[in-house]
This record gives sequence, structure tokens and C-alpha cells, in this order.
Amino acid sequence: MSSESSKKRKPKVIRSDGAPAEGKRNRSDTEQEGKYYSEEAEVDLRDPGRDYELYKYTCQELQRLMAEIQDLKSRGGKDMAIEIEERRIQSCVHFMTLKKLNRLAHIRLKKGRDQTHEAKQKVDAYHLQLQNLLYEVMHLQKEITKCLEFKSKHEEIDLVSLEEFYKEAPPDISKAEVTMGDPHQQTLARLDWELEQRKRLAEKYRECLSNKEKILKEIEVKKEYLSSLQPRLNSIMQASLPVQEYLFMPFDQAHKQYETARHLPPPLYVLFVQATAYGQACDKTLSVAIEGSVDEAKALFKPPEDSQDDESDSDAEEEQTTKRRRPTLGVQLDDKRKEMLKRHPLSVMLDLKCKDDSVLHLTFYYLMNLNIMTVKAKVTTATELITPISAGDLLSPDSVLSCLYPGDHGKKTPNPANQYQFDKVGILTLRDYVLDLGHPYLWVQKLGGLHFPKEQPQHTVIADHSLSASHMETTMKLLKTRVQSRLALHKQFASLEHGIVPVTSDCQYLFPAKVVSRLVKWVTIAHEDYMDLHFTKDIVEAGLAGDTNLYYMALVERGTAKLQAAVVLNPGYSSIPPIFQLCLNWKGEKTNSNDDNIRAMESEVNVCYKELCGPRPSHQLLTNQLQRLCVLLDVYLETESHDDSVEGPKEFPQEKMCLRLFRGPSRMKPFKYNHPQGFFSHR
Amino acid sequence: MERAAPLAVPLGQTEVFQALQRLHMTIFSQSVSPCGKFLAAGNNYGQIAIFSLSAALSSEAKEESKKPVVTFQAHDGPVYSMVSTDRHLLSAGDGEVKAWLWAEILKKGCKELWRRQPPYRTSLEVPEINALLLVPKENSLILAGGDCQLHTMDLETGTFTRALRGHTDYIHCLALRERSPEVLSGGEDGAVRLWDLRTVREVQTIEVYKHEECSRPHNGRWIGCLATDSDWMVCGGGPALTLWHLRSSTPTTIFPMRAPQKHVTFYQDLVLTVAGSSCRVDVFTNLGYRAFSLSF
Repeated sequence: MSSESSKKRKPKVIRSDGAPAEGKRNRSDTEQEGKYYSEEAEVDLRDPGRDYELYKYTCQELQRLMAEIQDLKSRGGKDMAIEIEERRIQSCVHFMTLKKLNRLAHIRLKKGRDQTHEAKQKVDAYHLQLQNLLYEVMHLQKEITKCLEFKSKHEEIDLVSLEEFYKEAPPDISKAEVTMGDPHQQTLARLDWELEQRKRLAEKYRECLSNKEKILKEIEVKKEYLSSLQPRLNSIMQASLPVQEYLFMPFDQAHKQYETARHLPPPLYVLFVQATAYGQACDKTLSVAIEGSVDEAKALFKPPEDSQDDESDSDAEEEQTTKRRRPTLGVQLDDKRKEMLKRHPLSVMLDLKCKDDSVLHLTFYYLMNLNIMTVKAKVTTATELITPISAGDLLSPDSVLSCLYPGDHGKKTPNPANQYQFDKVGILTLRDYVLDLGHPYLWVQKLGGLHFPKEQPQHTVIADHSLSASHMETTMKLLKTRVQSRLALHKQFASLEHGIVPVTSDCQYLFPAKVVSRLVKWVTIAHEDYMDLHFTKDIVEAGLAGDTNLYYMALVERGTAKLQAAVVLNPGYSSIPPIFQLCLNWKGEKTNSNDDNIRAMESEVNVCYKELCGPRPSHQLLTNQLQRLCVLLDVYLETESHDDSVEGPKEFPQEKMCLRLFRGPSRMKPFKYNHPQGFFSHR
Repeated sequence: MERAAPLAVPLGQTEVFQALQRLHMTIFSQSVSPCGKFLAAGNNYGQIAIFSLSAALSSEAKEESKKPVVTFQAHDGPVYSMVSTDRHLLSAGDGEVKAWLWAEILKKGCKELWRRQPPYRTSLEVPEINALLLVPKENSLILAGGDCQLHTMDLETGTFTRALRGHTDYIHCLALRERSPEVLSGGEDGAVRLWDLRTVREVQTIEVYKHEECSRPHNGRWIGCLATDSDWMVCGGGPALTLWHLRSSTPTTIFPMRAPQKHVTFYQDLVLTVAGSSCRVDVFTNLGYRAFSLSF
């Protein structure tokens, strides 16, 4: 109905005034408002309550009229038609009122709705504004929080400390007056300074990079130059070889040696270095060389994959062979032993030349699995030596270096860890293999810088240069002394075997001019035989007769008297004197246990040996002792008091000049020879 | 026959030399200190070693107790005889006698209190002093040895008062006859001579070797040891060990021992003799067996 009313409105406007143009509608509307009957305006003026009452009254009237009409109609009559018509007109009027009221209601409704709508729209607009504002507030709050949380990158930079800053920065950056008071300015200034510094450093960095590039290029150039130099130098060296030989300066040889030395295992390397150094610095008679195969040494260091492949191959092979032919346990054990005792393919050879042109050749080996060094020795002389029978052991490679230091017999391995390794393969002691492998003396280990402390068995023993250096000189000197003393003994033995005691002219003063007793025999005896002699028990009990010593028997005779002398020669001759034990067969058997004078004679050669050493290096000790023994026998026999009950003259008339024949409670004979007076007296 | 060889200790030069010295050492003389706790022993190298007897005989004795407490070089030659007074140790060897204070002797670097040399006739060789004898009654010391004389020395003044001559060869031993102040001396010449100290004369001579029962010509005639008990005398050496009655100068008992004796003494009706030469002093706590040995 509203659409109808709105349409009706339009026609009302049209009816009152014709058809306004579209464009002028607005203006016409407002113009026409003053002229037409505006129901909207009327709505505002009328009171909705009264309209409601009117409505109710109208409805009532209508109902009444209708009822009257109905009455009239039902009564029928002609005058009724006018009343009906009247009533009809009234009801039409009422209908019109109702319609108006309806329209008014609709207009009110519409207005109400419009107002509501407007209000709602306003409210919506406010609401929207509110939301916008809230949103903005939230946004701003977030922004604020963000701002508050904002950490400027500048705080991450480590700036120099304040004091430094003020010290270092130039005043136009630091602006002390301004920045002291204002932290913001201060920070800014500091950042400025930071930037300044960084720029400078970046500049420097670039400079340095460019420098580096330059230098690299220079290096390249020089390298090329050098590599072009190498072949030229080689040719020069080749050309200089004959000159080197002419001048006896074998640089090339030394260079080659150093090349080979790089493949030596550490202990041999230490030995090589120290020995060469010692030889160059102190001892020109020492020469060092390396022997052996360098290729084999290199082969020891093959990469593990190859060896693993080999192992798997060999395993496969082994399986096959076990099917075909079982190798005995003994053969396997033997192989394991061989493996354990394997030597490094390279060895170091030292040649020590002595004054008389004899040379001691020492070859040093390194046993890799046992981590010890061994040595084989050989003595060669300038002239061919005829070895006397008794001198067989003197220069033998097995024993010539025995006990160079006291107790160092070289038959046992010095590395305590080896015992466990030996147990695994059934080796009892290294002694059985010593002839083949060389002797593992302690001084050899020291020269190689290997130290095996007894208290802490270590797994890895490293080769130490200082240990080697500290022992080198003493050991070399001892080796030379040893060789020379052995050679001297060698010569002396040749003479002794012929019954001549070779006394040098500078030792003649120790003895009287006439010595009647003669040496008739000089032989070696075995250690067991020495221990079995009845007159050597004292020496054996005192622990002086070990199995590293050499034993000899000398026989001195005069007339019917026979003097046996058992000699213990310590490998440390001549610093350790030979020890004599005597047994005299003349009118009964006299030894040191039943005759004090025999004891005195032993004392004269054993304890008073220092007088008999002769000039250094005291190689004459043994021969002088033997000569003295002959003199003592002479004195003993000649000063023996004559037994009155026995018939006949004395067998040995006294020819020696003695002041007194007996002295002291023990009635000693005068065994001490006085030079140059030539008489015998007591000590 | 297998004999276990002793362990060979690595012996350097010094150890070997010391071992050899010990093997050839002879202890010639001993003397017990006045307090009885120490024993001094003199050897053929001229060293004197002092052993602590109380430590060695105690129940907690260890091996070190059998070693000397202190050893020092007393003489250049062998120390042939030693004797102790109540405060001093007198040692004699090559020609002179030295005195040491027992109270000082245990300190290191002990020096002799005094040394005296009897007036010798010959100067070619210094004769040794083989025997020392204390004569408590006149506080003197009698020395006898290589020059065949007995010298008496007054212990207070140190002067040599008498020289008794008579022996034709050097004197081995002396003994004192308490009752009459007589000294017996036995020598290499085979005679035992008795001397009177007051009259300074030889009173009696016994030439032992001339008696057939005791002489052993193959050993010689020398008298090595003497002991006397005023009426009786025991002597031995070359001839057999014999007990003599002094007044009658007759041998009464001859002891059957083969080897020559070095020392003899009377002890409570027993006669003890000893002979031997080594670097050890055997200690007998009981006359039946050897308890242990002190070693240089």
C-alpha cells in the first residue's frame, strides 16, 4: 500500500499542477510543497493517539452504519433508499477516513522507519567510526610497542669505550662540548667515529688486498725463475763432482746420505745424526754410512687398503693351502717368530779407525716389532793377523764388545715389553738369535735415543736426541780403547804362547834384570773348568767369576817347582785388572788357603796392580803381571828356609838381594822389588 | 756336579778393586775397648776398623751390625799389634806406635793422640813392631819387633827407658810374668828369653827347637806365640805347641796340632789358640762353635 501511497502522492502532485519536468523535480517539489496538500507535513501535525481514537471511532461508525444499513435493508422500504444512500455516503466518507488513516499510518510507519533507518545509519556510522578509531588505536598501540621495542642496529655494534673514543676521535667528530651533555648526540658522535674508522679500515683492507695480489704475482715470477734454475744447478753439481773428489769434500755423497737417512726408522736416524755430528765435530776417524735397500724401506709404508687386499687374497690362498697341505704348527710359529724378529731393511754402519790403522766396523740394525737396536761388530786390521789359539775369543764378533759398560752383556733384550711378545711366539730369550741379529747392548739403545726405564714399561718409546748425544763421546772412546786393548792382547798372546813374556822397555824397571822362572804354558780354559778348580773358590764366591769373563791358565816353572796361575780376564781390561789365583806344586801343594806367602804373591799381582799398569793406555798390565809372577816365584823359592833335617843343598840358592827374609807375625817373604837399588823388601 | 754360581752383579772398576782388597786382607790384631762395647781390628793395609760388639751380639743384630762402625787409615804399613789401656788404644805397625783416644775414636777424621818411634839402630829399613805389652805396675809399654830388641816406653812421659838386647832374629811375641816383673819374648831365632825389668838383664833362655819332642824342623824354629801363667808357659810356632814349666825349663805337655799357631792365651785353665788369615773376625760366644763373623 505504501507503493500505492507513494504513487498516489505523485499523481496528487501531477493533478494539482500538470507534469513537471524531470530535471526540475527537486525544485518543483519544493515549490509545490507550498501549494499542495502535503500529507507528510500533516503527519507531523497530527497526534498519533488521536488518530488512533479516530480510527477506532470510524470503525465503530462504520460498524454502526453497516448495521443500520443492514437493518434498513432487511426492513425494506422506499424511503429507506435515501437513508441507505445517506448511510452509504457516510460509510464512504468513513471509508475515506479509514483510507486516510491508513495512509497516515503508512506514512507514519514509513517515517518511523526512515527515522529509525537514519538513526540506525547514524549509529552505524558512529559504530564504524568507533571501530575505525579502535582499530587505529590498536594499530597505534602496536606501533608504539614496536617503536618502544625497536632496537636500533647501532646498539649491536661494539663501539669503542667512551674514554677511548674521547681519546682517539678527532675533535670535529667528538664535539666534546656538545656530546658530553647529550647522550643522543654522544651516541651519534660515536657512531660517526665508528663509521669513520670503518671506512679507513676498509680502505686499508683494500690496499692490503692489492698488495697481496702484487706479492703473489711476484712470488709466481720468482718461482718460475727458481724452477728454471734447478736444472742449471744440477748441471753445475754434476760438473763439480770431479772438483769435490779432488778436494776431498764429498758434499754430494753427504747429500745422498741425507736423502737415504730420511727413510731410516727414528732410532737409527737419531744414531745417524748424532754420529755424523760427533764425527764432524770431534773425531775425524769416525765415518758413518747407511746400508740397505731404500725401496724396501719405502715399501714398508704402503697404504692400508693395499695390504688389506693382500690379506684377503692371502687368506683365500691360505684356505686353499690348508685343504691341500696343512702347514705344521711349528712352521706357523716359526713364521711368526721370523716376523717378530724382522729387521728394518736399512742399517747404519759406523767405522772407527784406531791409531794403528785397525778399524772397528759396527753395523746397527733396528728390530721393528721389538723396538730395540742391535749391533754387529767386526775388527779388521791393517795387516793380516795370525790368531794364536788362546786368542780365539778376543776379537770374535760375538764377544769383542761384551761388557763395554759393566754388566752390559748384550744377551737379553733391554725392552721389558718384549717379554710379552716373546711369550706369544714361544721365544724364550733373545740369546739364541743374537748371532744372527746382533747384540742388543744397552749402550746401543742409548745411542739410538731409546730409553727403557725399569719401573714404567711404556708402550711407545720415542727416540731421544739428547740421550744419544750425552752418551756418544764416552761410548766412542770406550769402543776405541776396547779395540786397541784387545789387539794389544792379541799380540801379547801370540808371544805368551811361545813362552815369552813380552815386557816393553819402558816397563823393564819394574823387574830385576835376571828372572829365572819361565812361563811354559798359556792356554784358554772354559768357565766351568775355572769354577771347578779347587784354588779358585774365593774368587767364585766373591762373584768375580761371571760367564762374561775370559779364563786362562798359565804355568810358570823353575826347576822342580811348578806354579799354576788361573787368570780371570774381565772384558773391561785394562781398567779392570785380570785376577790371578795361584797353586804351587813344590814340596807339597801350596795354595792361598794353606800358605800365607802364596796369598801374598796373589796380593802382589791382584791388589798392587796399579804399579804394573805401565804407561797409558796400560795395555802392558797383563804381561807385567805375568813377569812379576815369575819374579815372585823366584823370590819364594830362593828365600825358602832350609830344612835342617833334610840332606843336600838348597835347590835354589839365594841370588836375590833381600834385606830381611822374614817379617811380621805372618813371616812374609820380601816380595817387593825396589828400583833402582835392586833389592827386595817387604810392603 | 752343578754348583750354583753366585749372581754376578755388574762390577765396575772400584767394586772389583774393593773385592780384591777384601780377599787379600789379613787382620793381624784386635783389641776390645775398656767399656767392652767395641772391638778394634787392625789389618795389613794399615786400616783400623771399630766394630760395635754390643750391636753385633744383641738380639736385633742385622747384617749392618757386622760391619764396622768406622774405618780409618791408621798406619802406612800393616797394623801388627794393638793393645788397650783404660782410655787409649795403642796401635803399632811399621816402626812406630800411635795412641788413639777411645772416646774420640768413633768420630770421623779421628787423629792420633801421639806417635812415638823407638830409637832404631839401622836406618835402611824401618823395622816393624810385632808385639805390644802393657806393664801396669810401672805404667809403661814394651815394644818388640823387627830390630830384635825390646824397648820400654814410659806412658806418661813418652820416653824410651830401656832397650833389651839379646835376640838374634826379630821378635814375634811378648808375655808378662806378673809375680816377678819379668817379660818373656819369643822370636824368629827360636828362643824364648826371660828378661828382668828391674835389673834390665836376660834371666833365662829356652831354645825350644833344640828339644826334640817339640821341634818340627820342616816348619822352622820360630816362636810365633807365647802365654804365661807365672809358673807355666805355653809357646808354639814352628815347633809344636808345648806347655813348659818355667823354673825347670822343661817341656811338660805337647799339644797335638799340625799347623803353626798364631796366638795363644791362658783362659781359666783352658788354652785358646787361633790361626787364620782373612778379612773376617770370627766371634765365638761359646767355645763350641762360631757364632758369626764380623767383616771389614
